[in-house]
Amino acid sequence: MDMNRRQALSLALGAGAAIGLGIRPSQAADDIVIGGSIPLSGVFAFAGIGIHAGIQDYVKIINDGGGIAGRKVTYLAEDTAYKTDQSVAVFNKLTSQADIHLYYSDSTAFAKTINAELDRRKSILMAGASFASELNDPKKYPFQFIAGPDYTQMFDILLQYVAKTKPGAKIAFVHSDTEFGRDPIAAGQAQVKALGLKMTETIVTPPSAVDVSTEILKLRRANPDFTIFHGYVLAPLPEFMSQAKQMGLATKFMGTFWSMDNSLWTKVGEPADGFMGVMPYRYYYDTEGKSPMLEKIRQMRPDYQSTAYMQGFLTAMLFLESAKRTLAAGKTLTAENLKAALNSLKDFDTGGLIGVPISIPGNSVPVGRVYRYDAAKKLMVADSDWIKVGG
Amino acid sequence: MRIGTLKETYAADEALFDTRTQKAWLAVLILALGLFPFVAGEYWLYIACLVAIHVISTTGLNILTGFTGLVSLGQAAFMGVGAYTVAVLEARLGTPTLVNLLAAGFVTAGVGALVGLPSLRVKGLYLAMATIAASFILHFVFANWTSVTQGVSGINVAPARIFGFEMARPAQLYWLVVPIMLVSVLAAANLFRTRIGRAFIAIRDRDISAEVLGIPLLRYKLMSFALSSFYAGLAGGLWAYFFRVVTPESFPFVYSIFFLAAVIVGGMGTILGGILGAVFMTMVPEVLKLAVGLLSPVLPDAVAILSPVRTIVFGGLIVGFLIFEPHGLAEIWRRTRRFFHLWPFKT
Repeated sequence: MDMNRRQALSLALGAGAAIGLGIRPSQAADDIVIGGSIPLSGVFAFAGIGIHAGIQDYVKIINDGGGIAGRKVTYLAEDTAYKTDQSVAVFNKLTSQADIHLYYSDSTAFAKTINAELDRRKSILMAGASFASELNDPKKYPFQFIAGPDYTQMFDILLQYVAKTKPGAKIAFVHSDTEFGRDPIAAGQAQVKALGLKMTETIVTPPSAVDVSTEILKLRRANPDFTIFHGYVLAPLPEFMSQAKQMGLATKFMGTFWSMDNSLWTKVGEPADGFMGVMPYRYYYDTEGKSPMLEKIRQMRPDYQSTAYMQGFLTAMLFLESAKRTLAAGKTLTAENLKAALNSLKDFDTGGLIGVPISIPGNSVPVGRVYRYDAAKKLMVADSDWIKVGG
Repeated sequence: MRIGTLKETYAADEALFDTRTQKAWLAVLILALGLFPFVAGEYWLYIACLVAIHVISTTGLNILTGFTGLVSLGQAAFMGVGAYTVAVLEARLGTPTLVNLLAAGFVTAGVGALVGLPSLRVKGLYLAMATIAASFILHFVFANWTSVTQGVSGINVAPARIFGFEMARPAQLYWLVVPIMLVSVLAAANLFRTRIGRAFIAIRDRDISAEVLGIPLLRYKLMSFALSSFYAGLAGGLWAYFFRVVTPESFPFVYSIFFLAAVIVGGMGTILGGILGAVFMTMVPEVLKLAVGLLSPVLPDAVAILSPVRTIVFGGLIVGFLIFEPHGLAEIWRRTRRFFHLWPFKT
């Protein structure tokens, strides 16, 4: 028994060491390579899995169509468990294994951490899951971009909608006490004033707040027309909404991109009715207008795909459009050329992923629209037209 | 079978490395560490630096938890204090790297001693709770003392610089992190040959008896907290130079659990245990990732399918080690050594 135990342990250690030798992914020398630190496990896995599938699908579409200028596109990704040190490890690993041109980052922390390295390499254009306002600064982050509006711009879109539908409305913000949660708050408060709205209350909660009864009382005192959440995915939004309904509060609840997935709200059901939020992309099931790319997605995947999928898909599209334009201009795939090509996008048609042609003057795609959850239909339905904000 | 290790003096008996074989292997290890950057790629150097930083912090926690018997779940927050000290000094004063790192150690030692005050009254789980509370207070300070820490957006750190030589990449930082790790580990090993270290062990084994023996508990418990925090501060300082951005979310609470797990899996109360634990906890997820990579040609999109499984395997491995070898990896190492020492006889 004693020997067996030792043998088992040595076998386990030996197997681990043997695996340590590793293998290298295969790709041809002239492939266009997208790397990715993707959160396939951990707290952000719900998004990571969708993002991963979205990038894979767009790469497949491009490769099936003959690649870009005859060059195949390869996508290399590894799981980061949404931990910055692992994201950096994956970056170092993939960049030492392949000549990477484009990179998907999983978090704001990673985007900030790796920025100095991107500046040093000058060979990789990066985008990712972060919509942090800080990244929307081409001087500080010259080789990064956001495949949508940043969080401040998302607030701007929501507030413009409010200003239009109910001028002079009273606004409350509820945000988590995290970098993510605090991101657009100060700028949002200024924008409330600028649009002639009235700021009534700003409530801060822990990121995973469960008991929100005291916050609800604050909200009741403030009695806002609109309450905007930020810095959460789902919890504690349903708790807020159901308690507010019980108290007879008339406020309308709103959220930002990561709270906007349809399947999340379908599970919440009735209390979610009327929840609104900003969405930079169309939903999987949207059929209005011409959207050949959405039709293609629906052909490839007959089941509902999340908003994270759309984000990954669009990011891959912008990546490869930049690569296409760079190669078409006879330039090499350096970070500078790729970024210049990205910024040359003017009134670019995304095939219906975004309902209007887009331009990327800086580091973000400053456009989105407001969707509202309809519990009877079990769908997020468009509640505004596409709103462009100052980019 | 190893024979002929006669010792003729007390000094020889007390020596840290007492046989020729040990010294020869140590020389081989140092040589291997010296040659590693010339043969390894960027990824492996990154992992080596990360392991070295974790080894320093785990050794620090081992001094406190493994040797003094005071459970702490504040190690990550202490690392945060060190990281912020380096970041603030680097950004505001531009003082030399080594000075910043030392300052990180001393500032964190001060904070650690303060946090250690409840240890005079409470032990075990109660102390663990007190350190958790302290770590939450520290996180609040990181996030809200904006005039110093720049709040949630954090501070960018300039690359480390030694004698005008810039260390921005893992290949360069290796020459800073690994020597500091070696010195730290050696110092910790030596600590337990001194009165102070032995007092720590006496406190761990039974604090009342230790007091009867003439060990002032106040002084030694706080000293243990301060020393442990010094290591955490040093590790945090190196972390700041390594990742170059320090935010309040850089050192989450779960990171403290990571270090406690490293101490337990490695073997509490042995220096080697701290090292092996840190290596295990840092490397196993990476090795499992490589295993998933190996399966990719056989199983399409293995990365997406097996990533959650990997987390379960990692957890299972930790549970397995705790069940099959409660004394930790250090005990497995010792048994292996004993096998070779006594070979061809059975242990």
